[in-house]
Amino acid sequence: MAELGRAALLVTLGLVMYALVAGAAGAHLGRRRLALSAQNALVAAFFSTLVASAVLLGALLRHDFSFTYVARTTSEDLPTAYTISAFWGGQEGSLLLWLLVLTGFGAAAVRLNRGWARDLIVWVVPVFAAVAVFFAFLLVAVASPFVMQAAPADGAGMTPSLQNPYMLAHPPLLYLGYVGLTVPFAFCLGALLAGRPDERWLVATRRWTLFAWTALGIGQLLGAHWAYVEVGWGGYYAWDPVENAALMPWLAATAFLHSVMVQEKRGILRVWNVLLVILAFSLSLFGTFLTRSGVVNSIHSFTQSSIGPWFLAFIALTVAISLAVVFWRLPLLRSQTRLESPVSREAAFLYNNLLLLALCLTILWGVVYPLISEAVRGEAVVLGRAYYDFFLRIFGLPLLLLMGIGPLIAWRRASFASLVTTFRWPVLAALATGAALLVLGAGSSVPGLVAYTFSAFVAATIVMEFARGTRARKALGASSWPNAFFSLLGRNRRRYGGYVVHASIVLLAVGIAGSSAFDKAADAKLRPGESMAVGDYNLRYEALDERQTSNATEIRAQLAVSRGDRDLGTLEAGKNAYTVEQQLSNEVGIRSDPLTGEDLFVITEQIDPDGTVYFRVFVKPLVNLIWIAGLVFVMGSLIALWPDAREQRRLVERTREIGLPATR
Amino acid sequence: MARKASPARLVIALSVAAVLAVFLLYTSIAGGGNPSIAPSELGTRTEKVQLAGLVVGPVRGDSHAGGLRFALRDIGGKHRTRVNVLYAGSVPDLFKVGRHIVIDGRLRNGVFVAEPGSMITKCPSKYAPKQDGGPA
Repeated sequence: MAELGRAALLVTLGLVMYALVAGAAGAHLGRRRLALSAQNALVAAFFSTLVASAVLLGALLRHDFSFTYVARTTSEDLPTAYTISAFWGGQEGSLLLWLLVLTGFGAAAVRLNRGWARDLIVWVVPVFAAVAVFFAFLLVAVASPFVMQAAPADGAGMTPSLQNPYMLAHPPLLYLGYVGLTVPFAFCLGALLAGRPDERWLVATRRWTLFAWTALGIGQLLGAHWAYVEVGWGGYYAWDPVENAALMPWLAATAFLHSVMVQEKRGILRVWNVLLVILAFSLSLFGTFLTRSGVVNSIHSFTQSSIGPWFLAFIALTVAISLAVVFWRLPLLRSQTRLESPVSREAAFLYNNLLLLALCLTILWGVVYPLISEAVRGEAVVLGRAYYDFFLRIFGLPLLLLMGIGPLIAWRRASFASLVTTFRWPVLAALATGAALLVLGAGSSVPGLVAYTFSAFVAATIVMEFARGTRARKALGASSWPNAFFSLLGRNRRRYGGYVVHASIVLLAVGIAGSSAFDKAADAKLRPGESMAVGDYNLRYEALDERQTSNATEIRAQLAVSRGDRDLGTLEAGKNAYTVEQQLSNEVGIRSDPLTGEDLFVITEQIDPDGTVYFRVFVKPLVNLIWIAGLVFVMGSLIALWPDAREQRRLVERTREIGLPATR
Repeated sequence: MARKASPARLVIALSVAAVLAVFLLYTSIAGGGNPSIAPSELGTRTEKVQLAGLVVGPVRGDSHAGGLRFALRDIGGKHRTRVNVLYAGSVPDLFKVGRHIVIDGRLRNGVFVAEPGSMITKCPSKYAPKQDGGPA
């Protein structure tokens, strides 16, 4: 079977190389049949990659340990779901998944758009093919998933902490996001190569970008939730290089999603958009490189491997070629119109872009700083949490504010009078919220208070927009208020989906501010019967239990929780000692308050043989809003993503009106 | 082509200046982070550093009472230099002899006194084969 897999990968490599060469030649010489055959080769490459993937999946499911990959990542008694997840667990498998998704997305995006953007597609195909050639080459020559060995009796198995439902969804979502960013990149570069950098590549890839961005966002939130619930150190994001690796392309894509609207509406920021797409794609490659090469110290250590230099070379090549193409086509990218006023919606979008980019680049700087300082000073210097937290506040808080301003301010030029009428109520609402919170004692953290005040402002603008729109639909003859509301959502999915996403970001900001700026912590060494207090909670350590399960000894401390006079029941926290792996894992106790979104978070730091337990306890206000934000985020993205034939037609019409160059 | 100065350019130029200013502000207030070094490179340096190394036993003491004592040596193992460490605060589950850890602290009287709660252990390698006591 391994031969079949290897052969399928070789065929894929051949097909994508053909698609690259024939596609470029066909496009350059204007030979339609040649270009068409390149397109078909890309589609065929998807199917041959599918065959290779099926072979690997089959080997995993059969527990065929003569496949080195299978033996290294699974074992006989691993549950089926995790056996499947081993597909993307190891390096070779995840590269294969990458190639599969890449060729799949490529084939689909090319098929869907060839009708109305044929002159772009001929150049998009070779760009897709070039990226695919890189991954196919790695899979064939450097990191083959089909290396064979004499089958051992059992595989090495999977680390217990990864045998977890989160790991079924978190990595593939990140991959979908990373790979999805190839689509706008390929269309952008294709449009430039074709000499047709009008707005069509944006229209063609908008949903793809949105999809990739959503997947990346959800993947990260799932990772954060996993860290919070399973890893048990009391946090959800540690600014670790590997976490940052996913955050950076997400930020760049967020900037892109916004500046695209400015280009569609006003025809400016064209060079900017092109550069953002190149940045987002390069960062997604860089993320993979960081994860897989082990050049920086991370708490996530993956199997370190030889693909690092290849990736670095590919990233350098991508950036160099893309920038050369942009430079070459710079005359075509000149905008017809200009930014008219620094107080306008396009300007607000520009500020938003600059802030997102600044945040993205400071994170990048922090990630590579150990390498740079090592090269310059001969000693790696690590920038810690303080660095990232500082810049998150400096750039993140104004970004939050802009989220309220951008969608409401007038295009082109906003007058002072219009600003007053538009923002009167949101500003008052924000000030009232800020004042009320100050009275309630939120002044203990200035950034936290500012975040809450800005969040109130944004929330007020969103509510206002929905109210105004719904009223308008009602006046236009919707039969009932709910009807009016839903027809509003349906009429302009992109806009109102965007507002829902904004609402989720507000929830996220409130959750992060609450749980990081206003949290309380306490620790104490308690003997059974003793109590400790944290915030207004009181915890009495009752007893220590020990249970034996099939693969671990579970030690649990029982805590009676109360607040004031109210008894809140018992909470369990403890450790699992895994017998085979000889590994301890913290099993934290979390009590969520459904009304306030507050968590009581208990870690048993140390359990002594005499039953004394060293507890660390956090009170994290509003932390559950972060997870709710994830659900709202998905909802908003789905609304914006949902196919909308009318809108697509309108966009196509508009790009027709803008007019295409009359050549060819 | 003669173009009137566009507000866009002004905005971008000002923003870049603002970002640089913020950056300078940060580095002047918060300093530039800690050097990350291996135990063999510590020598007699006494400034605050981040030490990344391999835990060597015996591990004695109580991290919540008087502190945990152990030694660190280089990962990779060309150097046999050991640094004695005193650590208080929370100990990650994965901490044990043979693991890679990272801690912040400074050298005092020949003992590396770690900042409480600064210990990070590296996750056992995601999907690598088991190795007895070896690097994870």
